[in-house]
Amino acid sequence: MMIQFDFLWGLARVVSAIMSVVAGPVLIYFLVVNTSLLMLMGLAGWEFVRQNRRKSYAGSEQMAASQLGQGVSVVVPAHNEEVVIVTSVQALLALRFGRHEVIVVDDGSTDATFERLRGAFDLVPVRREIPGDVTTRGAVIDVHVPRDGRTRLVLVRKKNSGRSDSINVGINASIESLVVFIDADSILEPDALISVTKPFADDPTRVVATGGVIRAINGCKVVDGRMVEVKLGKPWLVRIQVVEYLRAFMLGRSGWSRFGALILISGAFGMFRRDVLVEVGGLDPDSIGEDFELVMRIHRHMIDNGRDYRVQFVAEPVSWTEVPVTATVLRSQRKRWHRGLWETLWKYRGMLLNPRYGRVGLVAIPYYWTFELIAPFLELAGFVLVVLGFALGVVSTPYALMFMAVAYGYATLVTLVAMAIEELSFHKYRRWRDLGAILMAALLENLGYRQATAWWRLEGWWASLRGKKPVWGTMTRQGFGDDSPARASLSGDV
Amino acid sequence: MSAGRTFLIVGAAIGLACASAIIVVAIAKLRRGRVAARSRAMLAPYRHSLITMVSGEDDDGQAREALSAVPAPIWVCLRPSVVAFLPKVRGLPADNLGELMRAHGEIDEATRRLTSRSAVRRARAAYLLGLVRDPASAALVLPLLSDHVADVRLVAARALGTIGDPAAASGILDALRTQNGQIGLPAWVAAEALLAMGPGIGPVLQIGLASKDPAVRNVCAKVAGHGTYLSTVPQLRVLLATDSDGDVRVSSAVALGRVGGAHDAAILLRHTDASEPTVLRRTCATALGDLGQRESLEALAGLLADDDRRLAERAADSLVRIGTEGIARLREAAVTTPQGPSARAAGCALELAGLRGQLAVSLTGS
Repeated sequence: MMIQFDFLWGLARVVSAIMSVVAGPVLIYFLVVNTSLLMLMGLAGWEFVRQNRRKSYAGSEQMAASQLGQGVSVVVPAHNEEVVIVTSVQALLALRFGRHEVIVVDDGSTDATFERLRGAFDLVPVRREIPGDVTTRGAVIDVHVPRDGRTRLVLVRKKNSGRSDSINVGINASIESLVVFIDADSILEPDALISVTKPFADDPTRVVATGGVIRAINGCKVVDGRMVEVKLGKPWLVRIQVVEYLRAFMLGRSGWSRFGALILISGAFGMFRRDVLVEVGGLDPDSIGEDFELVMRIHRHMIDNGRDYRVQFVAEPVSWTEVPVTATVLRSQRKRWHRGLWETLWKYRGMLLNPRYGRVGLVAIPYYWTFELIAPFLELAGFVLVVLGFALGVVSTPYALMFMAVAYGYATLVTLVAMAIEELSFHKYRRWRDLGAILMAALLENLGYRQATAWWRLEGWWASLRGKKPVWGTMTRQGFGDDSPARASLSGDV
Repeated sequence: MSAGRTFLIVGAAIGLACASAIIVVAIAKLRRGRVAARSRAMLAPYRHSLITMVSGEDDDGQAREALSAVPAPIWVCLRPSVVAFLPKVRGLPADNLGELMRAHGEIDEATRRLTSRSAVRRARAAYLLGLVRDPASAALVLPLLSDHVADVRLVAARALGTIGDPAAASGILDALRTQNGQIGLPAWVAAEALLAMGPGIGPVLQIGLASKDPAVRNVCAKVAGHGTYLSTVPQLRVLLATDSDGDVRVSSAVALGRVGGAHDAAILLRHTDASEPTVLRRTCATALGDLGQRESLEALAGLLADDDRRLAERAADSLVRIGTEGIARLREAAVTTPQGPSARAAGCALELAGLRGQLAVSLTGS
């Protein structure tokens, strides 16, 4: 009993000592991080207003019909995608666009991915050579095209070498001047290519990359690879991720794009100029945050070579993708994301606070270091210290309440503002009950989800620091249709 | 101020802000639903007339008359549908929709808004005048090509292309220049607009091909090829051979492939030499296929073994497009050294040609 008392007394003194130093800074940190998010949303809202006003004269019809505009190669890396691959390719071929080809790179699938494609599109082998513009690892086995010789589909079969290397093979096989990477289990809106190529069309000499927004497909109704009804998925884990995607991916990235310092484009829906991809050597197959790493490399390459360039984000229309439905998969995903974030930030540490890299080096990268990389540590530490200190009586009730208000109340406000911007601009969720569920998810996010994801992110960081071998993990997916069987994929989340 | 009091103020502020955000969401959703329902109800009696008009079945002009007479509040709801139909229809339905817009004062309003202080209004006005395709609007839209807002310049160029008045061609070319930090029109937008203006732009193209600005020369070369302007061929030859800008040379090569003659094969072949830039070599290989002259057979067959495998692929494809003799060369290459690079390129081209039915046509032709 005495020993226990001594321990608690000692612990209280330690917590008290730490709190006397960090109490103020912790509050300020949360205040700054949430305010910065709010500012990004303000920028995003401004951008959405601008885009909405331009929509009526944007010239989408001309772009869709143009034969002089740039063509697009849609690269789809596929590993064990038998459940969705046919529907996905049919939908991609049917996208509204003047000139596009679809290149599926079968990354050594062990299921019926190839057979399904061969059956559906009547594929036949051809002795087509794949140029070596970008260095690749996995040996190409063969190339197939539809028997009609006209459908713009190419299937490249290769030995398994990972998603990034498969995309690099796709880049080599592509013949159009713009290349877009899309996961096999993603659904694109019919006008997605028109929208995401618009910045290239309007400013072809300067725009080198664009990213499209990703939304959660769970719960939505999909027919023949087309999104027909947007609904919110059932598990709360999914609903909370919908809220998170809205805040961080759609509004956050739109804000960075508006600010002119977008450094992250999702690998699930990113478009790049092919010549720039070849110049920088394609994706890094050794990077676990390959999409982030690629965009950072492009920034560095363009600035180092004194070139005027733009990287932009397109908020509408969208790519829909499945988000994890279990904590296990979510944990694996967040560990990987954070590990990729850390490894990329560390790799490009020379750009940090380097005036040579303008807004990217002076604002975006420091922001990612401070409010993305370190955030889980500070968030968890702050939470544990305040809860523990409160329990031990060394943290006053007003301070604990203030912490909750600034860290979680303010965060909820940020999410609600994101929801309001979404409702005023794109209003994808039409049902009142979905809005109610999103609202509830914005509150529930603070009760366990944020703390759990913060912990998982730290795990990912720690694994990298210890030099553990990175793994992609297994993502169990449901497929597009309600009746589709679940399947496993080694790639494909955002 | 005590900590408790500070918390109360902060908490209340956050709570109020959260409640406001929720109210905004609810009001926005409610309002959207009501506006949509109201519009549907107001438009219901006129939907049939609009469909009759756009489908070209309004022979007696009754539908147009009915829609011309709708009161202003209903026209506000109807207008977006009419504007959405305009780029999708041609001929009489398009003319009727244009007249409908005029009857409701939209053309006059758009003309006034061309000089509005708001860039969005100027762009919308130019867009609408383009959709209506009234030749009289060309002169009014033309000044917007030098607008200080890039979006407005872009929309104006498209509108002028849709109106199709060749008198605006030189204005489009002028708008290609990057001046005072304002980026010029994208090449493809300018080229599309010029092509839409038809054969009347020939003289302007010839002047443009001699421009000091590479962006202008590039677009003119593109248009010369796509629009089959034969009179530009001598200039295209010179540009391909001597221009200092890589893009201009590439566009000239594409154009020569489309509009050149028999002796242009030798010119294009010269630029497939290994000393030339990769993009130009590949473009010339493709252009030789477009040109379809047998004089290039030997050289194209030689390119099948080139280290640049994309160039080899294009050369093989060009041989297919040249026809029987080209295909014979490919067959020869495929069997001479079966494992060599020439055989690989030739084999693939033959397979693809077979799938497209080009081999059968070729054999029939021979």
